[in-house]
Amino acid sequence: MPENSVLIVDSDPAIRDTATWLKGAGFRVSTASTGEEALNLIDNQDFSVMLLDMHLPGKHGLGVLREVKVKRPWLQTIVTTDHPSVESATEALRQGAVDYLVKPVSPQDLAQLVKDTIKSAASKQKIASIQIKAKAAPSKIIPQTTFVISRDSLKNLVNSLIKERQAIGVKAKQGKFSFDKIKSFDDLTLDYDVTVNPPSAFFIPACETILRYKMGDNPEITPVTDTTPRVLIGVHPDDINAINLLDEVFMTGNPDPNYTARRQNTLIIGVDVLTPLPNSFAPSMSSHVAESGFDLLLTDIGNASYMVTVGSEAGAQVLAKYAQVREPTVAETARQKQVREEALSKYRLFLDMPREKIPHLLENNYDNPYWLSRSESCLNCGSCIMVCPTCFCFDVQDDVSLNMVDGERVRKPDGCMLVDFSKVAAGANFRGDKMSRFRHRMYHKGKYILDRYGKFGCVGCGRCSVTCLAEIASPLEAYNAIAASEKTKEKARRTITNTRPEPELYLPHLANIEKVTALSGREKLLEFKLKDGTALGHRPGQFVEVYVFGIGESPISLTSSPTRDHTFEVAVRNVGNVTGALHRLEAGAPVGIRGPFGNGFPLEQMEGKDLLFIAGGIGIFPLRSLIQYVLDRRESYGKINLLFGARSPAERVFADDMAEWAAAPDVTFMETVDKGDENWTGNVGVITTLIPKIQFDPKRTVAVVVGPPIMYRFVINELKKRDMADDNIIVSLERKMKCGVGKCGNCQINGVYVCQEGPVFSMTRLRTLREAI
Amino acid sequence: MKPKVAFFDFTSCEGCQLDALNLDVGEVLGLLGAVDIVNFREVKTDRSDDYDIAFIEGSITKESEIPRIQAIRAQAKVLVALGACACTGGVNCMKNAYPMEDLLKGVYGECAEYYNTIPARPVSAVVPVDAYIRGCPPTTAEFVNVVKSLLLGKRPDLPNYPVCTECRIAGNVCVFQRGGTCIGPVTRGGCEALCVSSGRFCWGCRGLVDDPNTNSEKDILARYGLTIDQILERFKIYNSYSEVSKCQS
Repeated sequence: MPENSVLIVDSDPAIRDTATWLKGAGFRVSTASTGEEALNLIDNQDFSVMLLDMHLPGKHGLGVLREVKVKRPWLQTIVTTDHPSVESATEALRQGAVDYLVKPVSPQDLAQLVKDTIKSAASKQKIASIQIKAKAAPSKIIPQTTFVISRDSLKNLVNSLIKERQAIGVKAKQGKFSFDKIKSFDDLTLDYDVTVNPPSAFFIPACETILRYKMGDNPEITPVTDTTPRVLIGVHPDDINAINLLDEVFMTGNPDPNYTARRQNTLIIGVDVLTPLPNSFAPSMSSHVAESGFDLLLTDIGNASYMVTVGSEAGAQVLAKYAQVREPTVAETARQKQVREEALSKYRLFLDMPREKIPHLLENNYDNPYWLSRSESCLNCGSCIMVCPTCFCFDVQDDVSLNMVDGERVRKPDGCMLVDFSKVAAGANFRGDKMSRFRHRMYHKGKYILDRYGKFGCVGCGRCSVTCLAEIASPLEAYNAIAASEKTKEKARRTITNTRPEPELYLPHLANIEKVTALSGREKLLEFKLKDGTALGHRPGQFVEVYVFGIGESPISLTSSPTRDHTFEVAVRNVGNVTGALHRLEAGAPVGIRGPFGNGFPLEQMEGKDLLFIAGGIGIFPLRSLIQYVLDRRESYGKINLLFGARSPAERVFADDMAEWAAAPDVTFMETVDKGDENWTGNVGVITTLIPKIQFDPKRTVAVVVGPPIMYRFVINELKKRDMADDNIIVSLERKMKCGVGKCGNCQINGVYVCQEGPVFSMTRLRTLREAI
Repeated sequence: MKPKVAFFDFTSCEGCQLDALNLDVGEVLGLLGAVDIVNFREVKTDRSDDYDIAFIEGSITKESEIPRIQAIRAQAKVLVALGACACTGGVNCMKNAYPMEDLLKGVYGECAEYYNTIPARPVSAVVPVDAYIRGCPPTTAEFVNVVKSLLLGKRPDLPNYPVCTECRIAGNVCVFQRGGTCIGPVTRGGCEALCVSSGRFCWGCRGLVDDPNTNSEKDILARYGLTIDQILERFKIYNSYSEVSKCQS
């Protein structure tokens, strides 16, 4: 690594001054103006220090920092910012930034800081290496010494081992790779992404006799252990870490004699990964390197030679007996490091959080709807657990010979994803549904095993996600999704608390009517402006309490998007006292406004998804705010389907808006009326008749349904027929809401206050509320 | 006293009985030591109507087979369906999709009038069945396992997981990953993924697992380019009689 190379990531052109100054002070300087650009540079080049601005176009500085920490954990990062805050400083330092500087910083100071950082990093490394040596020396662990071995000598080593023990190595198989018996070195593949079968299969075989017996008056029982000497060749570091976990499970506490016998008679020759599997996230689980658990570990450094690290006394012995090795040159040691770094830079999947957070995350999310929504497509096929290098559960069965005298007790594979795994004799099944099995596996990997053995039950090898036909098996995906939903939950909590501070809960803000537009015989659109000129600060889907002096207050959905103007609109149907009074008011009239209230539509959940909007009648009123919002941020969403149904052509509202929506790029707009008239040429029929006419992928679509209660039941049935997950069906409910702040109790559905936790709900939430629809 | 065992064949290729005989010498002797075989057309000419355990091979496809299976049921203490035809109706049920007269004409031509046929069905659709030995053909190991369990008076440990579990244990590269399609994910295991391990795909001969996620399997097959009709065609080879095929209507 060049000792004085600096990467400056900043969108501010003025930062070039700093670059010039640093160059003048003898540094090699590269610059990037976005996070993406920086990550590209880091992929191809090593830097000793990075100056990283927090506010970048596109990916945020903290996001860049997180990825860099996975790709290049040793890169010293100094964070700079124009907008300092305690939160971002804490987060940056927690993610490993060495310093947090508030701009402007003088170029001289910066250059000095960069120098100091490089110096202190070098001394830290020195201290660390001394500590490792000191730790290793008195213990039983062999100091890890590394030599160079030529390919020819390695061949001789392997072929000699094959003569003395059963050899299992990595072989090509039907376009993939698998651990299998090998007869010679030439059968071996040492550069591979992943094997179909895990190496654990050689320590806990699919079917294994653990004891034999004879029945009769004098029964005899004999234990059976397999002590065949073996060598496993080509085990990747993540799999070695998996074996380390199995050692913990089977060889501590009550040691398992069968596992122990196999393990003690097996040599492990590991090999560093050159080409990671695209599904692997081993670096996030810190298992892409192995510090122990192997006898020898190879790194292909090119030129038909390997670095070989000795990990045990047995490894040292076979090396001494069968191979010729020599001390590595400086260039070779550097090459080994480079090979490992290159491999590391090829990983593409990362946890969105430090893995230490997983257990805590799981603790708080036992009832997260994710478990149900993802497990629905599980085939219970057991593939994920059968290919897992850390799965170890088993069944024990008795096998009697036909002579009814001799018998064997046999260990057979079993696991939590199989239907009968938790079934008891009386027939009850404690994890009888897909969700609880699916969840258990994720908890086992991310929490239970960790609690018991101090190691994660997942090494990030990616086998399960490759083999799962339903594409639901990846723990990475589960943990990231849960983390994302936590964030959404936090945001939702934030939006429930009123965006405007309300010192006087029931005191309305004064507003004036800016404009009144008639929508139909019974409906008007009112545009309001707060008297103090500020924006309302609402989210689409929220509502306000509109007060007409002397008449009263009424909760009314906001009809316009906050992205449009400092004014806001509500559409009002004349049905009662307050709405009747509103209809009589003209532009300029004063009204009172409280709010915005409620949670609004789940904007974060919808980002990046295809959207399906279904509005019945005046359901379009609240939905219009969301449609406007989405169209104003068109690039953040996929395909949009928009269905609108009215009772008759006379009751159609927002015809101009609809024309605009129909013309928007990548929007499919369809309309229907329950009953046509002589001028109507469009579709006739209830709104569910439109659903079969549209194309959408239920897996990547969020549907937002707003309309009269009767419509919900039929539309939701129709969406369920198309296999939409409850989580992705969003509805907005209408309830009597007198106070808007969770006090008066009128709007309660079971224990839930619609004015606070609604009016927008996902179907997952509604299914638990029996009074909802 | 050793239990008396009888084998009966209904409409089938009789491969299951042959396969039951596919034991090594030790096992044959063991079997003969443990039971009295009183009726086994493939093995011996003597017949007896006095038996405890009846193994039924084949599906019910003729009117005349109904009273015959009922009589066997009345005599046997334990009735075991042996093989795919007896357990699921097997390949014979493929004929159920056609008018019976057309089938007779197609097979027997001018002589059709001398034969009769009814829609094919598994044994359990006519009389109660106590145990199933699945597959086309069943594995010898499973046959022996069930016989031993009956003799010991215990419920046999038979797998209730899909073929995939055993396919992964066998270290096979998934058929889907090799560009093919397979109904192993919803087919009951126990065959040690024999067909896939031999380079083919799963044909579904052991019937469906309990509570198969057929919707998800359909999604997956569709994602890999099969239409619903093609999917049903695959299911119908061995599972025409089951609920899955009824879904088509």
